[in-house]
Amino acid sequence: MKNTSDKLKDFFQYLTLFTGAAIMFLPFFWMINSSFKTEKELLSFQSFFPKELLFDNFRQAWEMGDFLKYFGNSVFVTVVCVALTMFVTILAAYGFSKLRFPGRDLIFTVLVSMMMIPYEMLMLTNYETIRHLHLFGKIWSLIVPFTSSIFYTYILRNFFLSVPDSLYQSARIDGASDWQYLWEVMVPMAKPSLVTIALLDAITCWNSFMWTMLMSSGNRNIRTLPFGLTAFTSEAGVHYNLWMAGATIVVIPMIILFLFCRKSIITGVSRGGLKG
Amino acid sequence: MEVRIEDLVKRFGDVVAVNHVNATFESGKLIALLGPSGCGKSTMLNMLSGILPVSEGRIYFDDQDVTSLSPDKREVGLVFQNYALYPHMTVLQNICFPLKIKRIPKKERIERAKEYARMVHIDDYLDRLPKELSGGQQQRVAIARALVKEPKLLLLDEPLSNLDAKLRVEMREEIRRIQRESGVTTVFVTHDQEEATSISDYIMLMKLGVMQQFAATRNLYNDPANLFVADFIGNPTINQLHGIYEEGSIRADGFAKAIPIGNYKIEDGTRIVFASRPESVLVSKKSGETEMEVEETYISGKDTLCVLNAGDGFLRAYVDNEDAPEEKTAVRVSFRKKGVFVFSEESGERYYE
Repeated sequence: MKNTSDKLKDFFQYLTLFTGAAIMFLPFFWMINSSFKTEKELLSFQSFFPKELLFDNFRQAWEMGDFLKYFGNSVFVTVVCVALTMFVTILAAYGFSKLRFPGRDLIFTVLVSMMMIPYEMLMLTNYETIRHLHLFGKIWSLIVPFTSSIFYTYILRNFFLSVPDSLYQSARIDGASDWQYLWEVMVPMAKPSLVTIALLDAITCWNSFMWTMLMSSGNRNIRTLPFGLTAFTSEAGVHYNLWMAGATIVVIPMIILFLFCRKSIITGVSRGGLKG
Repeated sequence: MEVRIEDLVKRFGDVVAVNHVNATFESGKLIALLGPSGCGKSTMLNMLSGILPVSEGRIYFDDQDVTSLSPDKREVGLVFQNYALYPHMTVLQNICFPLKIKRIPKKERIERAKEYARMVHIDDYLDRLPKELSGGQQQRVAIARALVKEPKLLLLDEPLSNLDAKLRVEMREEIRRIQRESGVTTVFVTHDQEEATSISDYIMLMKLGVMQQFAATRNLYNDPANLFVADFIGNPTINQLHGIYEEGSIRADGFAKAIPIGNYKIEDGTRIVFASRPESVLVSKKSGETEMEVEETYISGKDTLCVLNAGDGFLRAYVDNEDAPEEKTAVRVSFRKKGVFVFSEESGERYYE
């Protein structure tokens, strides 16, 4: 039996959680709620819930904005970015954890310390790099700067370091090369960490805004959803209900992804002690 | 396959972990590397497997010099102390792994893996993950994985130390059986002399990187090369009396009478250690050369263990329960020829008759 003070404690705990959840959820609710209203209804604040569900907003937004193209671009950029990032991260984490070469830990320390450089600073150098690679205005300009991540390398390296060396020696005696050991033993073992990293990276790529704006302001064919949405708000004029419909279209794929992978995100985040 | 070690040395910085070891391991035999922790036995094993590079000396497998060969080319199987099973693979996948690396077709791979799984009696658990197995089962998997590629040499690093006492006895007999069945030359590391003596054909006893004796298991007990070997092998430990050698007797410290021990090539007045196996000490109420007092008696099974007062030291001896003397009474003591040794107190070297 729980006594009164325990009940009170529970009550306040749940109250706090509920408040937090409500604060998180409200903007989403407002966005989706508004996307079903007529413009007049939305602006007049006559009703909390829409009088009728106006799916037409979505049709209009879909037709006015080039969302299908944006969506395609987003998928392409995200998939390629995540694939390349995973590949580079796996190799780098293995190198920095299990291979021995002079200056290994020093180089890694330098890399980790670079995480402190603000992203806005890196944009300048990335801009120059893209210009020299003649990728300006091409979709690869959205991918190339994001094919590696020190943060993810750091996480994965920590996991690799926790794997006992006897597994490596055992695999070597079983005839495996470093390459085979990495892909046959290490990577399958690191699957939970890798799924987490891939998901975090996918969300980051999908939501990437500043850089996309910088690269695609001149070429609307390479716009991804987030910047496409912004562009849509100026191109569609001031129609809040359509904006909200567009915004809903944009977040739906991520919500679906999250619902499917919720469990592995949560276990991964709590295991690695990292925040997204 | 015969393994020959020539003048093997391993240094870690200033520390000499293995110091000029020479030995030949006969083909098809079970050899124990025995010694207290830090004696270099695991270092030896890792040099045989190729995980550790050697500092000096050479290792031959038959006539092939493998000293600088990498582990994957040596055709050895190694069972680690913690078994080092791949945690994400099932038992079958674990056993298959070395064959998969060798690109052996899947069907043959599985057939061979199952054959070895049967040999180590783990074939009922093929679909389990390592964490779903007990320690003994995990070890069987590790042995099967080491054997499945049909290595020329099987190495076991403290294979029984992670098991509980009952399982340990069972598994050491299993290791013996599996080794006999597969006929592979096997070297295993242990710090437990009982484990080593119970299953191995040969024992290499090491101390601080130096090989103390390498001999057939029985000889190690009956014919120790020095005091360390005599002391390390045998349970209960060998009796040791310190004293001065004088005309075929020892004047044990703190003991009034000289104890006759036979003639050795030792100068009178030399300090010696007179060592005797408990079963070589004969206790009788009437006949015997030396009178000693019974300090304590313990019944253990069909025998009684008598602790005899011998000045500063004492002797343990076994007597039939029926003939057991009373505590605090005098008995007469003599020694068998077998199981009695004399060593230099200073160097521990053995003196012969």
